[in-house]
Amino acid sequence: MNRLNIEEPTDTPGQLLAPGVRHAIGAVALVALAALALLGLWGAPPDDRQGEAMRLLYLHVPSAWLAYLAFFVTAVASVLFLWRRTRSMVWDRVAGASAELGVIFTGLTLVVGALWGRPIWGVWWAWDARLVTTAVLFFLYLGYLSLRRIPGEPEAAGKRNAIAALIAFVDVPIVHFSVEWWRTLHQKATVFNPELSAKIEGVQALTLWIAVIAFTLLYLYLLDRRYRLAVLEEGQAERELEQAIRERTGDAVAGVTP
Amino acid sequence: MSAPAARPRGRTRYVVAALACGGAVIAATVLMFALSGNVQYFRTVSEAVTSQDDGRFKLMGAVVPGSRRRTDDVVTFELTDGKKTVTVRHSGDTPALFEDGAPVVCEGRWGRDEAFASDRIMIKHGEEYTPPKVDAGGQGG
Repeated sequence: MNRLNIEEPTDTPGQLLAPGVRHAIGAVALVALAALALLGLWGAPPDDRQGEAMRLLYLHVPSAWLAYLAFFVTAVASVLFLWRRTRSMVWDRVAGASAELGVIFTGLTLVVGALWGRPIWGVWWAWDARLVTTAVLFFLYLGYLSLRRIPGEPEAAGKRNAIAALIAFVDVPIVHFSVEWWRTLHQKATVFNPELSAKIEGVQALTLWIAVIAFTLLYLYLLDRRYRLAVLEEGQAERELEQAIRERTGDAVAGVTP
Repeated sequence: MSAPAARPRGRTRYVVAALACGGAVIAATVLMFALSGNVQYFRTVSEAVTSQDDGRFKLMGAVVPGSRRRTDDVVTFELTDGKKTVTVRHSGDTPALFEDGAPVVCEGRWGRDEAFASDRIMIKHGEEYTPPKVDAGGQGG
């Protein structure tokens, strides 16, 4: 049953998704990613002005979307932890797992953005509002993840983490609206602009939607796996603690009669 | 290795941590507004012509079609925002998309001859994406 032979906390579920649901999500995510690769690299036409470099859109946009989504989930889970009625370590773990994915996809957004900026803008990086607030987002949540590593009594540590997550989330809308509030080198939103009129059509738009769906499914799958890992880590830590106590008490008994 | 913290100490610790995070966000925001001149990434041609500052800044406009003249490593062209037009003298590389009508951001300062002396050009592309147009003219220009 339990391959790693680790005792699991009995009061909380060991995973977020039922195995059947998880396998289905994983399979659909794989198919969608394969479709994305085919459409993104060959099926969709290049851009009239940017040429082939425009294909980076199909990685850059879904990565940024996932970063927003992941940090939003972290914020919601943090509220649910702070609210006494729904307080559970489940939400603390969900918050941590989601933030980790958010940091990874924020990093991917920055890297793909730099690779795209060089051929189109002419520079890898620009100190404009969109890029700077995104870098701030990356480091805010990196700080949040380090904060989570500071040990403490679970409930107090959980509250501390949740408050930090909510403060960090303030930057998410700032990143999104930075291109509207300030003049930037970065373009304005192609899809989620204030007028909500997409400036992309046809196969290019279809490819972008498939990219967003594929990345979202991948996120759900990875979130479940990271949550599971957190449960196993906690079980392992508890087991080690019990082991240490047992050894200590054993030593104490041995100490009485040398 | 942490001893189980007494109640008030644990509370103090997360309050301190929360304050530190809040401080980071506030510091970042204050920094952005304090550098407000730089928060706006560029100035339009009209603004630059009106203010005539001495220092280095970024100028944004569209390349007037047919105005580009290349001599050795200097490119001279007209930059417009629809209202005002200035001459830009750029020395250095130009990006691949530096074309007629391209929206560009030039970094530099005013020269003595009323022209803007630029040493860096960046392309500010828009948010629209379209497949290549298949018209009779092909991909000229």
